[in-house]
Amino acid sequence: MTWLSRLFRGRTLDRELDRELRAHLDLMTDDLVRSGLSPAEARRRAALALGGVEPVKEASRDARGTRLVEDWWQDTRYALRALHRSPGFSLAAILTLALGIGANTAVWSVMDAVMFRALPVLRSEELYALRHGVPSDEEPSYLFSYLGMGRLRGVLPDSVPLAGMGSIARMYSSAGGRADPVQGQPISGNWFQLLGVGAARGRLMNPGDDDPSTPAVAVISHSYWSRQFDRDPAVVGRVIKLNGFPLTVAGVVEPGFDGLTAGIQVDVWVPLRIQPEIRFRGESSSRDSDTEKPWLPQDGIAWMRLITRAPRGALQQTESRLAGQYRVELLERNTNLSDSAGRAHRLTARLELEPLPKGFSSLRSAFGDPLWVLMAGVGLVLLIACANLAGLLIARGAARSQETSLRAALGARAGRLFRQSLTESLTLALIGGLVSPVVAWWGGRALVRAASAGPQPIPLALSLDVRVLGFVAALSVLTGLLLGLVPAWRAARSVPLGSFQAGGRMAARSLHRLPMGRLLVVSQIALSLVLLAAAGLFVRTLRNFLALDTGYAAERVLEARIDPRGAGYAADALPGLHQRLLGAVSAVRGVRSVSLSMHGLGVGAQRLGGFTVPGVERPPEWNRQGQENFVTPEYFATVGMVLLKGRDFTDADREGAPRVSVVSEAFARHFFGTLDVIGKRFGYDQPKFEIVGLVRDARINFIKQTPPRMIFHPLSQEPGEYVQSLEARVDGPVEEVARMMRFAIASVDPELPVREIVPVAELLGRGLSRERLLARLAGVFGVMALLLAAVGLYGVVSYSVAQRTNELGIRMALGAQPAKVRAMVLRDSLAMVVTGLVLGVALWIPLQRLVKSMVFGLSTRDPLTLVGAVLVLGMVGVAAAWFPARRAARVDPAQALRAQ
Amino acid sequence: MTPDPLFKPDLLQGTLDMLVLRTVADEELHGYAIAQRIRLVSGDRLAIPQGSLYPSLRRLENQALVKGEWRTAASGREARVYRITAKGRRRLEAELREWRELTTAIGLVLGTG
Repeated sequence: MTWLSRLFRGRTLDRELDRELRAHLDLMTDDLVRSGLSPAEARRRAALALGGVEPVKEASRDARGTRLVEDWWQDTRYALRALHRSPGFSLAAILTLALGIGANTAVWSVMDAVMFRALPVLRSEELYALRHGVPSDEEPSYLFSYLGMGRLRGVLPDSVPLAGMGSIARMYSSAGGRADPVQGQPISGNWFQLLGVGAARGRLMNPGDDDPSTPAVAVISHSYWSRQFDRDPAVVGRVIKLNGFPLTVAGVVEPGFDGLTAGIQVDVWVPLRIQPEIRFRGESSSRDSDTEKPWLPQDGIAWMRLITRAPRGALQQTESRLAGQYRVELLERNTNLSDSAGRAHRLTARLELEPLPKGFSSLRSAFGDPLWVLMAGVGLVLLIACANLAGLLIARGAARSQETSLRAALGARAGRLFRQSLTESLTLALIGGLVSPVVAWWGGRALVRAASAGPQPIPLALSLDVRVLGFVAALSVLTGLLLGLVPAWRAARSVPLGSFQAGGRMAARSLHRLPMGRLLVVSQIALSLVLLAAAGLFVRTLRNFLALDTGYAAERVLEARIDPRGAGYAADALPGLHQRLLGAVSAVRGVRSVSLSMHGLGVGAQRLGGFTVPGVERPPEWNRQGQENFVTPEYFATVGMVLLKGRDFTDADREGAPRVSVVSEAFARHFFGTLDVIGKRFGYDQPKFEIVGLVRDARINFIKQTPPRMIFHPLSQEPGEYVQSLEARVDGPVEEVARMMRFAIASVDPELPVREIVPVAELLGRGLSRERLLARLAGVFGVMALLLAAVGLYGVVSYSVAQRTNELGIRMALGAQPAKVRAMVLRDSLAMVVTGLVLGVALWIPLQRLVKSMVFGLSTRDPLTLVGAVLVLGMVGVAAAWFPARRAARVDPAQALRAQ
Repeated sequence: MTPDPLFKPDLLQGTLDMLVLRTVADEELHGYAIAQRIRLVSGDRLAIPQGSLYPSLRRLENQALVKGEWRTAASGREARVYRITAKGRRRLEAELREWRELTTAIGLVLGTG
């Protein structure tokens, strides 16, 4: 008979055994009767010989080997009955645990999606990205030119594929009416094949689609198909326009795959070769080239990330071949460089393969550390909740001590009592765990929304999959153990009949000090202090950032993010458009002044150039970068930048007039070593520009970035540059003005895409999403910890006062003053609070280092934060102890004594 | 019918299983008869505490070394009789071999071999 059938046929087996033992007795009695005994005496002897029937049965049941499970089942039923008896406690405990486990799972599911989950592609561990650069430089580059990709492919055997992709860029699709913004990505024809991703409908791209003589196709993601086309199968073969260029939809990608970058969902993939037609301008770096002309034939424009698939055995060979080719090209390119130091520096560049099983992710670098901090924080909250509930369970256990003693007296072994008590807390935790995915589902989404910059949440696939549910299961068991070990240990120490010997009072005496309960309260306070101190640091960090001087007026400036390139404007039509836009918007009521700029404030888009100053030699590794922007006159006044010296641009600075620039303090100091730069000249190679103005430094890209070295050019001197931003300084209600501005822009050209019109302050705030997230969540965790610790302290002090009613009554009868009794109870509680605080500070000191990189404008050892946390926690502690202490002082001696 | 001091059930659990297995190897027997047979064969030296006989039988049955069946005896009493299985026979032989080797070895050391 198998173990399982023994387990499920337990009752039948019990009956069988019964029958067999009866048969044994009968046979023996028969024997004894035959040997001359009276039937009654024979029966007695037979029973004696067999021994007690029950122990035999017990031993036989043990031999069945299913004992553990049967006991467990019995314990579980017992635990459920016990929980059912006190529904209030059970409900509170289960809810607390469900929230605790759910919150942990929520953070975990986000962490999993951002940091751990592998790409949903074939054998993701074989994927590699190509990166190159000078190792001593900070950031390696992932970008290659189209021709470069072809040359690298040439050195690889046919069995090792190499695919390229442009960056993911916003494009405008005709599918959802006019100018529907989508995320598009140009890819090489073998890209999907290399990844091993399949089609849900139609076909994906193949190398044949790289052939310019074939009609250009597009492949759409499953989520875009669902969102925009309502999963219409007839979409295959349909023609959609992307940035005005017609493409035939070839197929739909299988669900779950939306690109290689966590946090960005690609909607449409297109062939690389249509870069000029769709006017694709993604991430790129260029030298000796014209970015307005088609990118594919220009070797100077690096704009594609390359990926390859190398099985373990082929990795070394693939890498050395690619690196070899890269080296050859590097030597060729730098052969004419006269500057030998610069040449040697550049020649240290190398090409390497970087494992890519999880894809590219900017989220990983931005939110990796904060997520660990949040995980630790939410883990601490759960720990505190466990300590809290453990205290309650001990108190319950004390209330049931008579029952436990009775069981011990009836022969229950310590191990059995331990297991039974532990089963109760495990049952609690598991029920909490069962409910927790609801919390996790909701919490995970809330967390992503909180972390997202801008109105749209980061598209992150949070799924309650096996990994997440496994986490829930493991955490529930761990929680149950943490919760139950101390109470179980106490139950196991029950003295048989101990509680009865002293008329039920012995338990009370041993418990009024509740050493374990006190220890749990102390640990709750200590852990809460850690959370509060961390929350304090993050809140102050956020405030420090918000208090920074940006160098412009972020509050009263509206930024309209427009895209004439996406609307299909030719370069020579731009000056007219610019004039009409400025005219229309400046006529809007509430707009004081208007300007246009190539890159808006607070969005991070930038153009970097390398600059030289005539007559100054610089070492090759000297950073000659500056950030360029093209603006209309009155830009500085509109956004509120302060012109320190010189003049603003005027209408006289037009095409053909001498080239002029306005630079920032940082630029002046870096390139000239002085702020006296008016009239000085600089340029890319030739000193093309004359400086006519100097503006104060400004945090133009992100609030967190130190002010860059800025160069402003008049837009009118490069009228072919595409602007992406229109700024307006406004008074009156911002939303109303923004609405009117939208109408004004539409009146100029209804087809011109306007991504949004928002105050610059809001754009800046998006750059602080990480800090906001940390401050907000750490604050929530801190408050939760504070509440739990207060409830824990209150519970333990109340319990001890209740247990000591008798003693307190005697004291008061003997003349103790109520104030003195109160002070005694308070002193007792304060001892716990102070111990907890000291422990907490000791715990915090080594931990604070871990958040160093996430703190700004203050030291992690900031005394103010720590003192603040100690004070808050101390005050809450005193308040929590005050009420039970007051109750103690009001004990009526006569009543207290009568009650016994 | 006090238990013989020679037999301490806790100490000799494995031995008891082997004795029971050996006893049912020759013929089918019910529990009571097994106890009687062991006492008889050992010349009254081994009196099995009857309480430990049944757990032993359960263990053997769980390992499929013996098989139990309800039969009606000649006296008209119903009883569950046990017989050894093929697997049980193989195990018994192995155990016996081991036992002989062990006793020989101990005998040699004690100088009685």
